[in-house]
Amino acid sequence: MEDQSGNGTIGAVLVVGGGVGGIQAALDLAESGYYVYLVEKSPSIGGIMAQLDKTFPTNDCSMCILSPKLVETGRHLNIQLITNAELQEVSGEAGKFKVKVLQRPRHVDIDKCTGCGSCAESVFDNLKERDGQIWVDRIVVDEAKCTQCGDCTLACLAENEEAHAMTNVVFERRRVPELPVQQREGIEPETLAQRLALMDDESRKDFWQAELSKCIKCFGCRDACPVWIYDGAELEDAEWIKPGEIPPAVPLFQIIRAYRIADLCVNCGMCEDACPMDIPLRAIHQLMWRQSPESVFEVVPGLDSETKNRLVQRLKEEPAVNTEIAR
Amino acid sequence: MSTDFVLTVCPYCGCGCQVYVQVMDGRATGVVPCRTDEISEGRPCIKGRNAVDFVDHPDRLKSPLLKRDGKFQPISWDEALGIVAERLGKTKRKHGPDSIGVLASAKCTNEENFLLMKFARAVIGTNNVDHCARLCHASTVVGLAKAFGSGAMTNSVPEVEGSDCILIIGSNTIEQHPLIGSRVLRAKEKGARLVVADPRRTPIAEFADVYLQHRPGTDVCLLNGIMNLILSWDLADRDFIAERTEGFDELEKKVKEYPPEKVCEIAGIDQAALEEAARLYGQAERGSILYGMGITQHTTGVENVLCIADLAMLTGNIGRESTGVNPLRGQNNVQGACDMGALPNVYSGYQLVTDGTARAKFEEAWGVELPQQPGLMATEMTDAAIDGSLKAMYIVGENPALSDADINHLKKALRSLDFLVVQDIFLSEAAQLAHVVLPACSFAEKEGTFTATDRRVQRVRKAIEPIGESKPDWIILSELAARIGGAGFDYPSPREIMQEISALTPSYAGVTYERLDEGAILPWPCTSEEHNGTRFLHKDSFTRGKGRFFPIDYREPAELPDRKYPFVLTTGRLMFQYHTGTMTRRTPALERELPTGFVEINPEDAKRLSISQGQWVTVESRRGKIRIQALVTERMLPGVVFIPFHFAECPANELTSRHLDPEAKIPEFKVCAVKINKG
Repeated sequence: MEDQSGNGTIGAVLVVGGGVGGIQAALDLAESGYYVYLVEKSPSIGGIMAQLDKTFPTNDCSMCILSPKLVETGRHLNIQLITNAELQEVSGEAGKFKVKVLQRPRHVDIDKCTGCGSCAESVFDNLKERDGQIWVDRIVVDEAKCTQCGDCTLACLAENEEAHAMTNVVFERRRVPELPVQQREGIEPETLAQRLALMDDESRKDFWQAELSKCIKCFGCRDACPVWIYDGAELEDAEWIKPGEIPPAVPLFQIIRAYRIADLCVNCGMCEDACPMDIPLRAIHQLMWRQSPESVFEVVPGLDSETKNRLVQRLKEEPAVNTEIAR
Repeated sequence: MSTDFVLTVCPYCGCGCQVYVQVMDGRATGVVPCRTDEISEGRPCIKGRNAVDFVDHPDRLKSPLLKRDGKFQPISWDEALGIVAERLGKTKRKHGPDSIGVLASAKCTNEENFLLMKFARAVIGTNNVDHCARLCHASTVVGLAKAFGSGAMTNSVPEVEGSDCILIIGSNTIEQHPLIGSRVLRAKEKGARLVVADPRRTPIAEFADVYLQHRPGTDVCLLNGIMNLILSWDLADRDFIAERTEGFDELEKKVKEYPPEKVCEIAGIDQAALEEAARLYGQAERGSILYGMGITQHTTGVENVLCIADLAMLTGNIGRESTGVNPLRGQNNVQGACDMGALPNVYSGYQLVTDGTARAKFEEAWGVELPQQPGLMATEMTDAAIDGSLKAMYIVGENPALSDADINHLKKALRSLDFLVVQDIFLSEAAQLAHVVLPACSFAEKEGTFTATDRRVQRVRKAIEPIGESKPDWIILSELAARIGGAGFDYPSPREIMQEISALTPSYAGVTYERLDEGAILPWPCTSEEHNGTRFLHKDSFTRGKGRFFPIDYREPAELPDRKYPFVLTTGRLMFQYHTGTMTRRTPALERELPTGFVEINPEDAKRLSISQGQWVTVESRRGKIRIQALVTERMLPGVVFIPFHFAECPANELTSRHLDPEAKIPEFKVCAVKINKG
């Protein structure tokens, strides 16, 4: 960044956050002649608005508002996008700031990637069936979901042996135990969701049994949840969850809660933050993202009010009011 | 529309979580967690999340009430204060000041308790002032003061996380102090070992490495047994004992009389488990003991507490971070009410009324002569009322008609008084027996400070205007004192009361509203404005100099089961209700969880008596009987039953016994004999 005005100030601006607010700010600034650095934590800009159907109060289609702005931001010559990155430090003063930005790895070398999509295919067989086609331009490995199976790297290798694009810790991780200690440096520790995904069913069940037994039924996870829109629901129905019991029916209480927000969860982590007993609730949702709600609960939540959910139907036949379940 | 968020302290347990009260157009509409609060970290429990729901409940008392022909009629403040002042004044003139008793409240602020203590001593002229600590941790205040010189939790709540062995005895930590329970589980995740001893298998027992289900009332025996093993394996901290303590030889001799075989026989526990418990605590680097009502509410309450103090000193687990003897105080400000001297034998900061210098200091500050003899304790006032030596009582923010032991006896005592004033936010069971009821304000409507269980003084801030004609307790007291003729009660705000407290109380000397409002965390002793408070007590020396060992003999509880009354009844609390339920039973989210009480009974006993789940039974003791539903559960030992005391429709305290600890005068809530019949 060079000194343009002669008084020490710099003609560049940093916008933190690539939601619709950040995008509009970046566009306005760029149009008025500033050079804009737009820093976004997730791999892509768009934020929450891109996940909404309609906007309040006019009921306008939200993508119709947002997508032209997304395209313009992406192509604007005065805007440099820095995605998958976080602001770490700010120093200096108005007119001349110095910032430190942490750029997270995307695990894909964009210059080498040909957009063939075989990496995605290798780990997500359903993708093709669902969308009819795979169109990949800027692919990224989502660390929260990655189980380090390494299949994507192998697929990439198979496609392009000379210059494979997956610059992947995933592939390395698979070999971690074989690597000498000094070479393991820089390899990030696994996330809880990754660890859980690799567990066998029995140990995963034990893990959740132990964690959910801590619950003191404060309803904090439900009250803090921004997408919980049900009034009471089964959590307050004595037929499902016996009132006054601690811990509340394990694991039914949390399964019902997770089921209710399966398709709405934005992984904000408020549930986990609100939990006095430190239960890693966020991991439940991260795990659920791997599988479609219909494969977990055998119903697509919210599509049809007539369809009764199977989980609840089964409970009806066998009510969970056994008082000693949880103890 | 106006909105505001006011930082204040949760009005329930002693954890002392700070929360924001959400205010919309002058109404308290909700609670928002405070993420920067050290205790809750923005994660309060269900009671904290619903803490304001009772505040504008329609049942709130909105004007003073006078009982005429057995019915309450609203009267004006002027009239009400006039009647109270006249009747109390008359009683004082006719029967002397000691014919009046005052009960302070662990739900009121420090300032109000101090004022009430001043009112009783300086205006009425009696030391007959006490509060509900008599029913919960009186044994702790007496016991720990004898052993260490200071009767409070030695370490702070966040330190629990750093312990490497936690011994929990007689505390249902997860249900009653959820945020402390959460820290115990965190410590466990970090590798700490957990030993739980409790006759009732409470939720925390599920997480224990060693769980000892001893018989109710055998705590002394159990603790002596642990000490015996620690000594015989030479795990005692001999350097600590030699340097910092006295009276060890007698203790050593005494615990030799408790070999593990004998202990296991009396307490009904497995010897391997006892040995494992002794090994875990004995070998711990930073061993911490948490205890609650299970220790204190016995005729041997003080002895139980002394035994715990002995165990901590024996292993040198005191005076360091993450160790200590930690009584978990039940009420948000029961620590503060004790600190403020709402006790018959001490002024604020535990300065004895029998100590001439302390008395002279208070006499000089208040400009009156103060009574010299310690007054009646709450449990003694009941008997004094019945035998006629106590004529009038002034009860602030307490509901002894449900919380005291043997409430039929207590109600008889309250009825036999010439004059009873109750000052409360709801028409509680005790208030219904009063001649005059004064409407007070809830925590959301006044300024002040609460002292949490780990001695942390925190600010309570006014969120909304008083409901109806109710007034904060300190204003009522000031006005009443002025009418009776007490000088020095014209405080413009609680800030000035705190200044008086700081000036007269060495351990609160550095506590000011300015510092608290700046966000300072001040656990007392905080001896000057520069002092940053004391996180853990007894660092280099004990408050009394050297720690004192007390050899304790095991004594049986006062009332044991016999052929006529074959069951042991133990009482306690539940997660979703709080004490006598004046607040929680008016909170829909909590009342929905637990709308009524039950008697927990072991499946074996239930089978023998052919009682099924949910069946109505009659539980009867020598003092009364109640009808209640049965809950058959493995949580209880055979021969032991449990009833929560929250519920007025099935009050456990109609059954409990009035046998008192000889020193602390705390009733034995945890053991009495009952029989159970169907129907």
